[in-house]
Amino acid sequence: MTSDNNTPRGWSRRSVLKGATALGAAGVAGLPMIGKAFAQDNALSFWQFYAPGGDVKTQVDWFTTMVDAWNAANDTKVNLEYVVGSDYISGSKLATSFASGQGPDIFIISPGDFLRYYNGGVLADLTPHIEAAAQQDFPQSVIANRMVDGKIYGVPMEVEPMAFYYSVKAFEDAGLNENDVPKTWDELLELGNKLTTGERYGLMFETGPGYYQNFTWYPFMWQGGGEFQTAEGKSGFDSPAVVQALKLWQDAINSGAAPRQILGGGGGDIVANLGSGYCAMQNVGIWGISAMENNAPDVPYGIFKLPVPNGGKYVTVGGGWAFVANAKGKNPEAASRFIAWALASMAPDSIQRVVDWCTVAKSDMPPRDSALKQGGEAFNKGKMAVFSKDIHPGTRAEPRVPPEVYKIISDAIQATQLGGADPQATATAASQQLDAFLASYSGAPIL
Amino acid sequence: MTMATTSQKVAGAKPAALRLSARRREAIAGYLFVLPDALGLLVFIGLPMILALGISVFEVDGFGNFKFVGLANYARMWSDALFWQSLKVTLVFAVLLVPLLYVAGLGLALLVQRNGRFNTVMRAMFFAPQMVSLVVVALVWQLMTVDKLGLLTRLLYSLGLGSVSLLGNPNFALFTVTGACVWFLMGFYMLIFLGGLQDIPKEYYEAARIDGAGRVQSFWYITLPLLRPTSFFVLLVSAVAAVAGAQAFDLVYVMTRGGPANSTALLITYIYQQAFQYSAFGYAAALATLLVIVLMAVTVVFFFLTRGGRFQYE
Repeated sequence: MTSDNNTPRGWSRRSVLKGATALGAAGVAGLPMIGKAFAQDNALSFWQFYAPGGDVKTQVDWFTTMVDAWNAANDTKVNLEYVVGSDYISGSKLATSFASGQGPDIFIISPGDFLRYYNGGVLADLTPHIEAAAQQDFPQSVIANRMVDGKIYGVPMEVEPMAFYYSVKAFEDAGLNENDVPKTWDELLELGNKLTTGERYGLMFETGPGYYQNFTWYPFMWQGGGEFQTAEGKSGFDSPAVVQALKLWQDAINSGAAPRQILGGGGGDIVANLGSGYCAMQNVGIWGISAMENNAPDVPYGIFKLPVPNGGKYVTVGGGWAFVANAKGKNPEAASRFIAWALASMAPDSIQRVVDWCTVAKSDMPPRDSALKQGGEAFNKGKMAVFSKDIHPGTRAEPRVPPEVYKIISDAIQATQLGGADPQATATAASQQLDAFLASYSGAPIL
Repeated sequence: MTMATTSQKVAGAKPAALRLSARRREAIAGYLFVLPDALGLLVFIGLPMILALGISVFEVDGFGNFKFVGLANYARMWSDALFWQSLKVTLVFAVLLVPLLYVAGLGLALLVQRNGRFNTVMRAMFFAPQMVSLVVVALVWQLMTVDKLGLLTRLLYSLGLGSVSLLGNPNFALFTVTGACVWFLMGFYMLIFLGGLQDIPKEYYEAARIDGAGRVQSFWYITLPLLRPTSFFVLLVSAVAAVAGAQAFDLVYVMTRGGPANSTALLITYIYQQAFQYSAFGYAAALATLLVIVLMAVTVVFFFLTRGGRFQYE
């Protein structure tokens, strides 16, 4: 009569309720303890998208070896915390952590994000911890966009210039060889059309909106002498060079030589696109070498530098990530010391660490003159030699822009490339938006 | 004697806790049942809404810096072309999604309403997309619609429609995202409609058949009118889901990132971009507040049209 039909034998409704209440109370009582446990951890958190959960062993090893070496010699430890790449780069994890006052002590950012964090006041000044010789070791073209008022707020770990990769098989099928790589935009479009088949595109630019697409488009603007901002701080977007760069990408789509949609992880994913045979020529950065070596070693490919417009001058863009310290973190001073020790000391192991990152863990150009020298032959053999001798000398640093500027440029690229908008009208409208924003902008200089 | 008295007193004291009337005890039990849900709503819905409303009158950069700006974030919307673009995309999406979901859900329910092994299997198949992560759904649709090589792209090509870029062309991308959303959700609404159909007494159909009514007439004069409460629920929930971008956000995030050329940037996508990509948390909160107002307006319109959600079968 009094038994609970829905409960196991021996359990009364009251005992279940009591148990649930006790569990709930214990849980609530335990919450502050959990918070306390976290608060008591004095180790510096280091967020990035490589280790310890990354899937490229050489990169995981590089990070863990570096942190182990630091932890063995210092009282303030560093903990590597892996964040999945897509979430780190375009997700909400980093933003929400800072918004809640729980940002990592050390993290990595690209130039595209520098102003957002600097203007937010969360980047620590690393200059006092970097010896003068090491400061001089970073070429201005690499370090300038991580500096404000002569102070260094980020130490670059790599330089990643953009180039074109091509499929040797696609070239051979069309009766072409390495001597036929395009040198001008006209030749690029012509060859793109020639290499296009029923199942393959001849040419590929990034199509997804985002910082990466802007990054890959900048050199085409620069090659004709264009700038999005003049030396006087006004918009330079309404110019023939900008219009022709917008038109180049639009023509590639309209001619049917370039796809509107890209496979895999986007335009930077060479394996999913060029490697799979989806396109014959792809606009990708230097990281494509290690990506192909690791994931498509049997696909023969070649590399050539970005073609230029008629009357234009060769220039490419160099991206790359940098270590930064959270000025509002647990121990910004220790975090800054760690970064200087890891990447910006004149000690041989610090220089070698940069060499190893750029030659063993990845395929990048080094951000330091000493690393380029110490790496020696590693930067001058095989495909890397094409970059170090032919492509990298024309590298210009990726601009640092506030999100509002990024969005205006991104919308202009998208509207013309995929939306079919008139390049001149789009450049004019974007320029007016840029002027309106620049007139009220008060953060660190846009470079 | 003393012991017996004490024991009687003790025994008499025990029922003191039971002095509550049955009605009152029932009410307390009811409140206790509701309490966890009410607390959840308060903490996870109510409180964030109040906080968002508060944040919307500040300029918040996401790094601990606040500046009171009054209604400036709301005023900014009027001159923000991308906001109007996202509102337009959201409305088009809702206008496409709601009727398509209604027709697909009801159509499937009518197809598989009879009991039987085959229909049981079909019901499970139609519901199966609900068991898959939205990210996986988005990736599968991305692969099916990729230029030149996708299954759907090839199908359209074989039908003589040329080389269509279903996700890369601003003219088609929103339709493709809507298609993926319908495919994902239609099984769920099928189940809702199945429940509604099973509530309709069979005698009505028999009487109609005896009176000479055909299938179409039975559907038109019996099924549809008696499905009004279910239809109201489906239309309301799907409209709210469409405007809020409940499922569509994930699909857009993976399939197009709001592109090409902002053609799939729903209001929820734009709010996300403002908050997490541009660190404009105050403006994002103002946009979110506006979204809640729009959702409330949609709900009010539905309740007005259906006389408060009460249905009388005259």
